[in-house]
Amino acid sequence: MSNESTTQQRQIWLIFFFLGVVMLNFPFLQIFNRVETFLGIPLLVIYLFFGWPISIAVVYIFTRTIEDDDSDHSSEVD
Amino acid sequence: MSLQQISITTIIYFAILFSFAFYALSRRKAGRSIVSNPHIYSLTLAVYCTSWTYYGSVGRAATTGLDFLTIYLGPTLICFSWWFLLRKIIIISKQQNIVSIADFISSRYGKSTYLGSIVTIFAVLGIVPYIALQLKAIAYTFNLLAGLPEKTSSPLQSIVPFSPQFIDTTFIVALILAVFCILFGAMRLDSTEHHEGLMAVVALESIVKLFAFLVIGIFVTYGLFDGFIDIFSQFSALFPDKQHLLLIPAECGSGARWFSMTFMSMMAIMFLPRQFHVMVIENSDHNHIRTAMWAFPTYLFLLNLFVLPIALGGIITFNGDTTLADYYVLSLPLAAGQNALAVMVFIGGFSAAAGMVMLESVASATMVLNNLIMPIILRCNFKMADISGLLLNIKRVAIVSIIYLGYFYYRTLGESAALINIGLISFMAATQFAPALLGGLYWNRATHRGAATGLILGFVLWFYTLIVPTFIDTGWIPLSVMTEGPLGIESLRPTALFYLNTLDIWSHSLFWTMFFNLGSFLAVSILTTPSASEVDQALLFVDVSTWKQAPQNRTRISKAPTIMEFVDLMTKFIGEKQANSAISSYLGDREIDEKGSLSEFEIPDLKLFTEKTLAASVGAAAARIIIENYLSARGSKMEDIFNIFGTVSLSRDASREQLTVLYEAAHTVSSGSDLDSIFNNILDLLYRQFRFDLCVIRIYNDQDNTLDVRNFRGIDTDFLSHANREINEETCIGTTYIHNKVVLANDSDCVNKPISMEIIRQEGIKSFAHAPITVEGQPIGVLSSYSRYAKGIYTDEFIELYKNLAAQIGIAWRNANQTMQLIEASEQEKELRIAELIQLGLLPDKMPALAKHDIAAICVPAKQIGGDYYDFIIEPPEFDIVVADVSGHNIGAALLMAEARTFIQARARQLSSPTAILDALNRFLHDDLTKAELFITMFYLQYDFEKNRITYANAGHNHPLILRHSDNSFEELDAEGLILGIHTDVTFEEQFSQLHPGDILVIYTDGIVETENNNEEMFGMDQLKNAILDNALLSAQEIIDQTMSLARMFQGRRHFNDDVTMVVLKIDA
Repeated sequence: MSNESTTQQRQIWLIFFFLGVVMLNFPFLQIFNRVETFLGIPLLVIYLFFGWPISIAVVYIFTRTIEDDDSDHSSEVD
Repeated sequence: MSLQQISITTIIYFAILFSFAFYALSRRKAGRSIVSNPHIYSLTLAVYCTSWTYYGSVGRAATTGLDFLTIYLGPTLICFSWWFLLRKIIIISKQQNIVSIADFISSRYGKSTYLGSIVTIFAVLGIVPYIALQLKAIAYTFNLLAGLPEKTSSPLQSIVPFSPQFIDTTFIVALILAVFCILFGAMRLDSTEHHEGLMAVVALESIVKLFAFLVIGIFVTYGLFDGFIDIFSQFSALFPDKQHLLLIPAECGSGARWFSMTFMSMMAIMFLPRQFHVMVIENSDHNHIRTAMWAFPTYLFLLNLFVLPIALGGIITFNGDTTLADYYVLSLPLAAGQNALAVMVFIGGFSAAAGMVMLESVASATMVLNNLIMPIILRCNFKMADISGLLLNIKRVAIVSIIYLGYFYYRTLGESAALINIGLISFMAATQFAPALLGGLYWNRATHRGAATGLILGFVLWFYTLIVPTFIDTGWIPLSVMTEGPLGIESLRPTALFYLNTLDIWSHSLFWTMFFNLGSFLAVSILTTPSASEVDQALLFVDVSTWKQAPQNRTRISKAPTIMEFVDLMTKFIGEKQANSAISSYLGDREIDEKGSLSEFEIPDLKLFTEKTLAASVGAAAARIIIENYLSARGSKMEDIFNIFGTVSLSRDASREQLTVLYEAAHTVSSGSDLDSIFNNILDLLYRQFRFDLCVIRIYNDQDNTLDVRNFRGIDTDFLSHANREINEETCIGTTYIHNKVVLANDSDCVNKPISMEIIRQEGIKSFAHAPITVEGQPIGVLSSYSRYAKGIYTDEFIELYKNLAAQIGIAWRNANQTMQLIEASEQEKELRIAELIQLGLLPDKMPALAKHDIAAICVPAKQIGGDYYDFIIEPPEFDIVVADVSGHNIGAALLMAEARTFIQARARQLSSPTAILDALNRFLHDDLTKAELFITMFYLQYDFEKNRITYANAGHNHPLILRHSDNSFEELDAEGLILGIHTDVTFEEQFSQLHPGDILVIYTDGIVETENNNEEMFGMDQLKNAILDNALLSAQEIIDQTMSLARMFQGRRHFNDDVTMVVLKIDA
């Protein structure tokens, strides 16, 4: 993997990490923190239990883009 | 259910775990590990989900609501960073043979012992309540399942009536877990060897607990109720007052709590000792992270899917009674009469607790052994040859102790606190490691003082803001401390420190611990300077990708131990078998010198290797102490290589310094001073720049076959600065000269030549080096330098420079020799000029004036001194002409010629005929000619100028020519006779001839006829004859001039290769 794509990859990771932190925290959660229900289930529960697998799916998709690192001390580690 | 049934089920489950562990170990021995697999790796990470998750999540969901999710959302989020963060940690740990989180932090900060101890103490303090929590969960659920009263003292008593009072369910559970840990976690000492059996069990337990929890979840959701929607709608219909459980309370601070718990769980998943152990130490391939990044969060998600339904179902089933909400998971199937399901749930919960206890105790025991006990053992200095067995037993005792520490915590305190709180207290403790660890991973400047200050302050605040309130709950500390502050100081209330009372207990604690921890870590790190070993380690940790290009070793070991001594040292701590296999793998690809040992600069590498191998068993800090103690006990010291290039760093600027010195040396050499001052200047340069005590130049003396001191600078002693050395291998200098290579001793104690040893001892020399001084590759002398103060100054770089200086001395020597030769040559030249003048003086200075005769002659020596000669002796009426040619053109030839001339001049008049003269001359010169290995050709002609009659004799000379005027024909004058200097008795033939007016007689030497042109053709007789014939009408002198110029034109040069002599006698017509 070239350094450039590694750097880009790392930046995308970082963006998703912060996006995840923001979306699973206050005040973002307040959007769904309401008494309303969907199919009898509170909105917040729905949001958390759908948002969570989505974030896992994002991680999964991204792990597919990583190639195995065969070196003992890869330059990508930093 | 009966006690026996549950006991038997539990024992069967244990048997399954044991056999699975053994199976995994046997697979590993067969080389087909089942554990080294990304999915198994992900499952082992799920040791994160303890009984606290298994039972506590439901409890928290039923009592405080959705924030239980943060404990799992945090790890999901931090998974995003694993490919970069976790992989870096794993790679470093493998390179450094890290065995625990304490080891990691201590290693990063220069293998600091006390930092390792601090981390260990805090880690153990932080996890003991957590272990207590697990034991409590197992015991409580066991009793619940068996229908025993909650506070039953001992189920054992029903079986063994006389068993002591304190032996209760928990005690027995702890005992079984301890045995399991020892079997699979402390069979060997080398912790970097993976505990495959233990990992297999943990993975299996992860499957069991997930399976059990999903089954109970499905049972509650679809068995007791009619799916998710049913539970939620029943809950909202029955308990409108508990709707806040499904919302995040709008009250101030709930957002902070959500964030704090997310953050704490993010740190906990990385830095709880057991998590660090499974994620980093037990990792067999860092590519497994790739799978774990999504597999582990998926596991967490699945485990939490039914938490809310079970919690709400429990509230509905138990009519809103949440006092035992922590055990809804078990009490729901029990209430429904599903005993088998309840046993399965119990087994699942047991798995969750057991996995955590085992890993946590093994990880902590490793830390306790390496960071607390090892340093003490090492101070005690055991004399045993092999203490690896002792260490293993200490580790086993540590495992048991930690588990029982948890047990006693449970017995004394555990009853009071809710499960969820104890878990979060441990999380907060793990969070305290984050600044030192992450900071150390990305910040070069972080120092061990900063890390230690941060950790200590963090833990003090942790204790004060979280543990003290727990003590207040149990009544150990009066409630007034909480409400009014200690000693009435309101600002120090544990949960409202410095009047910060708007935050919940977790955010409050997180804020203050991080404020002091991170703050002091940064501040102290900036204010203190890292030690040298810390700088080295920081480089290895922060720049893990570039560490292979780390600067070369700058240290050496004085009185270095041998390879075998290092092996013995390793044997002591890790056993003989492991020590031997370690050293053979190390030496496999290394060069070993003739003495079977490593080169001096390899020994520090071996030392590092030994340290790393030991670190795998006893941790980095202890390994460092072991090595240091060992070296200091045998009087060896790690020494920084004396930086001979001054203060500039060796690796980067050495070449510049080298160039400066070489430039000065070259400048001296080219200065044109005399050899002594050049030598003195170079020695002075060495002496001054590198602070040697003595520098000596010895030059080979071919008369005595010794190396004689030519110049020296420094201490003036008989043994070194005045002693010549013989050329043999008895001394280092002799060896240098004979083998034409540098001989150096960085440590004079290692010299093995008796004579050298004696001298070194007498003079107190610590280190020295000899470099051969060579001219065109051949040694002509030796440059030596000695130091009385520093060892190990001769680095490879310095030796290169040193060799260069020796070469400069060689150049100076060669230059001086060439100058000498030039001077000699010019002196010789002067002598030759004199000889030339003398020789010219020997030739007749003017032509004899003879009436009716025109005489001319020339003698052109090829070099300054010629071997040709002509002479005239006038004794009227006779006129003798002699032309001779001595072989050679040197002074010897000239002298013999002079001798011959003297003889002829002296004796010619007394001897009557040319034959007689030649005969006498031959006898006279014979011995001298033979001695000088020279000979002379000579033509002697006597001319009676009244009768125009010639009488002549020839001693092997070229035949002279007579050009007859009458018919323009040439006549050669030939007479038998051997050249002079061959035999003493030679018969010379005497011949006669008559000259007539107009005839021209030409006597010459071979120089003229043998003149060669570029095509190697000779001038020859024919051209000579033509030249004479063509110029026959001209004067004798003109005939000579014309002939000479023709000969010069023929050969194309002015200068003749041989002496050219011509005598022309022309009789006027």
